[in-house]
Amino acid sequence: MADTASLVSILLDRILSIFVDEMINIPLINPIVERLMEIPFVNVIVAFILWKPIFHVLILPGLLGMTLALLFIIYFERKITARVQWRVGPKEVSRRTGGVIQALADGMRYLFQEVIVHRDANAFYFLQFPLISFLPVLLPLMFIPAGGTYGIKTIYTIPAALALISLIPVFIVAMGWASNSKFAYIGSVREAFMYFAYEIPFLLAVVAMIVLYQTPDPFEIVAKQWILGAVMNPIAFLAFFITVLIATSRLPFDIPEADQEVAFGPYVEYSGIIFGLVMMLPYEKLYLLSMLSVILFFGGWNGPEIAILGDLAPVIYLYIKTILFMCVVSLARSIYARYRLDQSLRLGWGVVLSLSMIALFISAGWAAWLRL
Amino acid sequence: MVKVVKSPKKGLVRSAIGHFRAITEVAKVVVNPGTITVHYPRERRKYPENFRGMIMFEKEDCISCFRCAHICPANAIQMYPDDEGRYYPGIDYAKCIFCHFCVDSCPTAALKQSKIHDVAYKDVDSMSVTPEEMDNVPEIVREDAVTVEYDFDRDIRLVKRKEVENLLVEVDKPERPEFKAVPQYGENCIGCRLCMFSCPVNAIRSKLEETKVILETDYDRCTGCGICVRICPTEVLILTPVEREGDHQ
Repeated sequence: MADTASLVSILLDRILSIFVDEMINIPLINPIVERLMEIPFVNVIVAFILWKPIFHVLILPGLLGMTLALLFIIYFERKITARVQWRVGPKEVSRRTGGVIQALADGMRYLFQEVIVHRDANAFYFLQFPLISFLPVLLPLMFIPAGGTYGIKTIYTIPAALALISLIPVFIVAMGWASNSKFAYIGSVREAFMYFAYEIPFLLAVVAMIVLYQTPDPFEIVAKQWILGAVMNPIAFLAFFITVLIATSRLPFDIPEADQEVAFGPYVEYSGIIFGLVMMLPYEKLYLLSMLSVILFFGGWNGPEIAILGDLAPVIYLYIKTILFMCVVSLARSIYARYRLDQSLRLGWGVVLSLSMIALFISAGWAAWLRL
Repeated sequence: MVKVVKSPKKGLVRSAIGHFRAITEVAKVVVNPGTITVHYPRERRKYPENFRGMIMFEKEDCISCFRCAHICPANAIQMYPDDEGRYYPGIDYAKCIFCHFCVDSCPTAALKQSKIHDVAYKDVDSMSVTPEEMDNVPEIVREDAVTVEYDFDRDIRLVKRKEVENLLVEVDKPERPEFKAVPQYGENCIGCRLCMFSCPVNAIRSKLEETKVILETDYDRCTGCGICVRICPTEVLILTPVEREGDHQ
């Protein structure tokens, strides 16, 4: 009996030592953490939560931070569009704060609505794809580091994250296929067209930045950005920005889900909380791409050090920059009207593709010049 | 003749200027939006004095002249008799188009305008309002603390003031003309004498001349209530305003 007890405690110590090695160091909450670490068994849980990969994926840039960012950006997008169009925007839910919790209230409403699976749908895939589509959303978070925290540390994090993000349209097309309705079909075809139009210039723009820094390792990329990447290669930034707009279906390019034309396209048959999940998908993609663009073009987590926050400070810098970038992207909604499918295909295959090619040459020039 | 419209010339510089203009315009509006929304239950727009809202009624001023009922283009005004036999208007708000012809036509300003425009009824039947109900001002829940006014001087903009506006409008009462029932078209009289029996002050007398009944009104007694005028089947009696010496029209 005593042997098993000691065995368990040895095992716990082993597990604890794995977590403690890579724990996030935040001087602000250190006294609380130290007191909790004295309690047996609780210390394992605390160390697990503060373990860098788990903290990264679950708490700040990860799940919790993403949820907060999404709730904010949906509210912000509606409010800023209303402001530009001389309206008021969401206000009645929690009047005192100006309707900040509108997105949360909408989510609650979706939660209590019935999920309808219509007769023509392929029920299995119809319900499965919205849930699986979280995989290509959450997995890239493991690869995109945030300075103080990181999920998986390899030098190929940016290519890996890009590969996973590129999977999202496949799921959207599959949702449209599983819905088996006219609008969903048209939306899926449009999504497929747009996917091919933006993916090549998008990848070329990222490759241009990787060529510029001569490494795909985000830690090195951020360390090398004493001049911002957007200044070093503005053409690449322009191409990246336009492709982000297309990739996340923001308004000038929200052709697949144009609600006036095809009534949310691939998502038309979804209802209830499943619709809430699929509606979030472009926003989640926007969050990931914003994070990526901040790392590539805006100096990532660079910023003055804050002693009291320790490892958390770079994470917060990255987070704030990401949200600012998302705000700028969502402002595009109120500037431009929606393009037609053929116009945006021409734009994607013509202008943006050539822009990204030029960006690649500029990066190559920089790289050759810097090496000399 | 067909006019050929050419597409505007497109160039890199031109489209770049276009994009730049669009972005600066939006940036300008984001900083300083021209929102002119009135948050209605909490703010109330200031309406002019002659706003065509709910129609208020004061029974004491009404002379039962029926002009409102006659002029109503939607046929929304019905005259209801009261215990004394006089008639007062009641408005059917299901029919009313708020043209306020009745208010304009009222010689004594017994009907008058108000700024109340937000009244709900439970059903269609309760929308036809009787004169007794019209005397009461409808109960309004005021949530507003701010009065908003549009300023059209240059660009349209809002002027907000922290005050609660009185929705009832005070109008100057016109001098109430005195009416008397005059047997103007005596040749129409069929001698039924309903006017005599209906008169509450016994001001109408009749006398028989050969086969014809001649009506006479005692103008000192007549109060101009109009009951005889309404009850007369052949419209012999007419309510006529009294013209005193010095009155010019």
